Amino acid sequence: MVVYNTVLMYWFEWIALGALLICLSGLAYHMIRLIRLGVQDDYSARAGSPVAGVFYSFTGGMDPRHKESAYLNLPTYVSGVIFHIAVFVTIVLFFLFLTGVNPGQSASLILSVVAFSGAVTGAGMLIKRLRDPKLRYLSNADDFISLLLVIVFLILAGLTLLIPAAYPVFMLASSLLLLYMPLGKLRHAVYFFAARIHLGRFYGWRNVWPPRKV
Amino acid sequence: MEKVTKDKIKAGLEVFRQLHDSKLLTHLNSCVHCGLCADSCLYYLTMKDERMIPANKVDVVASVYRRYHTLAGRLAPRLVNARELDDATVEEMVDLLFGACTMCGRCVRHCSIGVDIEYVVRMGRKILSDMGYVPASLQATVNAALETGNNMAIPDEEFLDTIEWMEEELQDELEDPQAEIPVNQPGKNVLYTLNPREPKFFPLSISAMAKVFYAAGESWSLSTTMYDVTNYAYFSGNEEHGATIGQRIHEEMEKMQAGKLVLAECGHGYRANRWEAPNYVKKAFPETVSSVELMAAYLREGKITPDKSLTEEVVTLHDPCNLVRGGGIWHEQRYILNRCVQHFEEMSPHGLDNFCCGGGGGQLAMGEYNDRRLKIAEIKAEQIRKTVAKIVATPCHNCVDQLSQINVDFKLNVQIKTIAEIVADSLVIEPKSQK
Ligand code: SF4
Ligand code: SF4
Repeated sequence: MVVYNTVLMYWFEWIALGALLICLSGLAYHMIRLIRLGVQDDYSARAGSPVAGVFYSFTGGMDPRHKESAYLNLPTYVSGVIFHIAVFVTIVLFFLFLTGVNPGQSASLILSVVAFSGAVTGAGMLIKRLRDPKLRYLSNADDFISLLLVIVFLILAGLTLLIPAAYPVFMLASSLLLLYMPLGKLRHAVYFFAARIHLGRFYGWRNVWPPRKV
Repeated sequence: MEKVTKDKIKAGLEVFRQLHDSKLLTHLNSCVHCGLCADSCLYYLTMKDERMIPANKVDVVASVYRRYHTLAGRLAPRLVNARELDDATVEEMVDLLFGACTMCGRCVRHCSIGVDIEYVVRMGRKILSDMGYVPASLQATVNAALETGNNMAIPDEEFLDTIEWMEEELQDELEDPQAEIPVNQPGKNVLYTLNPREPKFFPLSISAMAKVFYAAGESWSLSTTMYDVTNYAYFSGNEEHGATIGQRIHEEMEKMQAGKLVLAECGHGYRANRWEAPNYVKKAFPETVSSVELMAAYLREGKITPDKSLTEEVVTLHDPCNLVRGGGIWHEQRYILNRCVQHFEEMSPHGLDNFCCGGGGGQLAMGEYNDRRLKIAEIKAEQIRKTVAKIVATPCHNCVDQLSQINVDFKLNVQIKTIAEIVADSLVIEPKSQK
């Protein structure tokens, strides 16, 4: 794969690098703002452990057996898990491509399956968003744009692994995704962690989390 | 509804400008519109109206935030559904945040991300409160507390008459003319509070708790100046009012030189006094416990001895949201019931997953939404029916009120009791003055 081995960067790689820097700056802005604002001082007498609460928030609190959002909606939950795994893998792939690392033929095949699986589950989520009255009601343009950008990102990653000629298009699609990320709902990449930390601290302080056995 | 003015908008948006920490910012930016919280909310489950999905309640607040505080919201509001804080938005906020949420927090536990939906609703209510859009009935309840010291504006004379009457009942029941319900006695170990619904509608729960205190040999007193355990400002969203009410009870405690404040059975009263009020006034408060914790301690320490055989009926338990999910008290009431009744059967789901009775979030004070309140009660009625219980115990007077209505409307044919009443019923006491 010629494109992976070159030392000099192509114009579309420069664009992707620029988009990445803008994206990281945007996400850093969100993160720094959260850190600067800090967490709430609580004047009530503490009953439990905020640290244990935060730990539970990221572990037991995410256990699909205890979350209705998961066990009442198992297909959606499983799709979501596959989708997010595929996105994380593809982000790593984006960095590998950009740094000129070739994953090798057999790894490429596996990675393309992962990326395409993500794209398929993403497409399923898109169809559900269009058809389910609840989701249609909740959705705005940002929800569709964000999902579409990620699906295209996954498809092109899978294609690039199989057909190197798709690489420039993948880099351009990645650039669009990266530029959009800090603006729309994709920034939940940062806020998800903040939300679970806040929730864990709150319930941990009051001795609600981790739940004690009766 | 009164028209939205520039001044009102400015007052409402201050909530977003004066961020003291990152909590609100976090929860306003976290929802991914997956819709998976819908099936955890009693409003959506019973009404199947998309507007009632918890995420939509977050979104109505977050959309205003986006309009004024995000780049995308300022440049392309339609892209991210960013909304002006105008008449239509305010009307929708009032309807959804006051009229379609009991602030039960059930959805929070099940949200796929971890959005504190209940907190965002409370902040949305704060915006509306700062703009002057708290429903009149709820505001009247807060005003009554601010002006008279109790949310039902019960005059002292009426209150004292009721206490005297209950004291006589207690003396008759215990066959002890020395048994008393102490009022305004300083220097006691416990300053006890009441939900004004007790002296007004359910006075027997006062004598029940007095019987428990009597059996435990507790040194306690009520205060006529400040006995109201509730703080409806927690529901109206006005933190200044919340601080005024919360502060009073602790000032009274200092004045009465009491050892600790014991909060009557009231879900939001426990939450407001134990957890929220110190944060409203930004200072630590003296020891504050729920009467449920205290009764559990009496049992553990052997200060009271129940006789299980006295309650033969099947008893089930309704968990008040603010005591359990919002307060961390759910073992104590189970421990008490297991000690005091023969047959205790859990509802399904229960504990942290329990459904609200429908009366939370100030719904019982807002007559405007009575139809909805009784509609969402279908879930609780069904939960109770499935247990075959004859007694529903609950450590909350607001829940008692709502459950009593459910009992009639859904023809459940059960008795609704507080935990103190269950404990009192299980006690066999020898008159102390004859010992
Ligand atoms: S807090 Fe309770 S009533 Fe309000 S949206 Fe969540 S589940 Fe529904
Ligand atoms: S489950 Fe959480 S993230 Fe999903 S729509 Fe509901 S509030 Fe938003």
